[in-house]
Amino acid sequence: MVKTIISMLAVAAILVCGAIYEADFTKRQFEELSAVLEVLYEKTDAETAVEDDVYAVQKNWVDKKKYLHIFIPHNEIKEIDLWLAESVKLVRDKKWEDALSKIEVLKELTEQIPKTFRVSIENIF
Amino acid sequence: MTVIFIRTFIIFVALVIVMRLMGKRQIGEMQPFEFIVTLIVADLACVPMADVSIPLVYGLVAVFTLFILHQLLSLLERSGDVAKRIISGKPSIVINKDGVDFKELKKNNMDVEDLIESMRAAGYFSLDDVDYALFESNGKLSAFKSCSESEKGSSLPVLIVNEGKTVERNLPVIKTEKPGLNEFLESNGTTEKSVEVMTVDGNGRVYLKEKNEKFRILQFPLGDGVKW
Repeated sequence: MVKTIISMLAVAAILVCGAIYEADFTKRQFEELSAVLEVLYEKTDAETAVEDDVYAVQKNWVDKKKYLHIFIPHNEIKEIDLWLAESVKLVRDKKWEDALSKIEVLKELTEQIPKTFRVSIENIF
Repeated sequence: MTVIFIRTFIIFVALVIVMRLMGKRQIGEMQPFEFIVTLIVADLACVPMADVSIPLVYGLVAVFTLFILHQLLSLLERSGDVAKRIISGKPSIVINKDGVDFKELKKNNMDVEDLIESMRAAGYFSLDDVDYALFESNGKLSAFKSCSESEKGSSLPVLIVNEGKTVERNLPVIKTEKPGLNEFLESNGTTEKSVEVMTVDGNGRVYLKEKNEKFRILQFPLGDGVKW
């Protein structure tokens, strides 16, 4: 009986802590990514962005995604990789309108992905 | 390939830990909720093991959540009789001193053929081989051997009447047709409709159980050379 209760509580505690950490970690990572994307968006909108600005965002993302792979389906991470890669090319070619739409999608993804891990009716059902 | 190897290794270790913590009962004598856990665990473990696009954590969290649920139900089950009955059900006595209890059989969604099959699996070939038989809550049949069992000759009984209906496919075994059977039943003061179960073995030994009556052992006039 005691063993059952202890093992159950121990595993429950690990899962609860894990869940709290996961929610906080993913939220923080995507908030930071969103902030750098916002800067890139403003620069692109002002047509002052350069290739290195997107590379900086990409580098920032590569550092983050290493650990995000633990919690987030790898396909969703790959999606951000692809949109970022497209943005590099468009900024390099100074196709501002197209680049803006790609960055817009990236911003949307950084908002939507963490939402899929929140406890909500739509996520549960 | 190496990734799948490592993922499989991790999931395997996690499953071994969880199964060990769940206890030995998990392997042999499963209660309904334990059976469900085992079914789900198998699938939950396989998907993240082979699909590298799914984080391994998803499989591990699901497996450990099932472990918590299992432990919780085990605790509830142990907390009292009512909880145990709700979670795991209770043993059901399907054969008593009066014979087969059809009410209990129906409660378990079984018919007499299922009962005979379970009895055979337990090593009893005739319904009157046992004084009591019960289905445990884990689905196993337990039986209390009848004292008179050794007096009988060994022959496999066949089902002739099942819940008021003649099992026509078995009539050729006893070399009888329906009128002959009806005649036998009438001579013993009963009819096909009121018989819940009737079996005949190769020595003509009849196990006959009527509704709300104690079972009777009769002798069926098998023709010459009819024996199995």
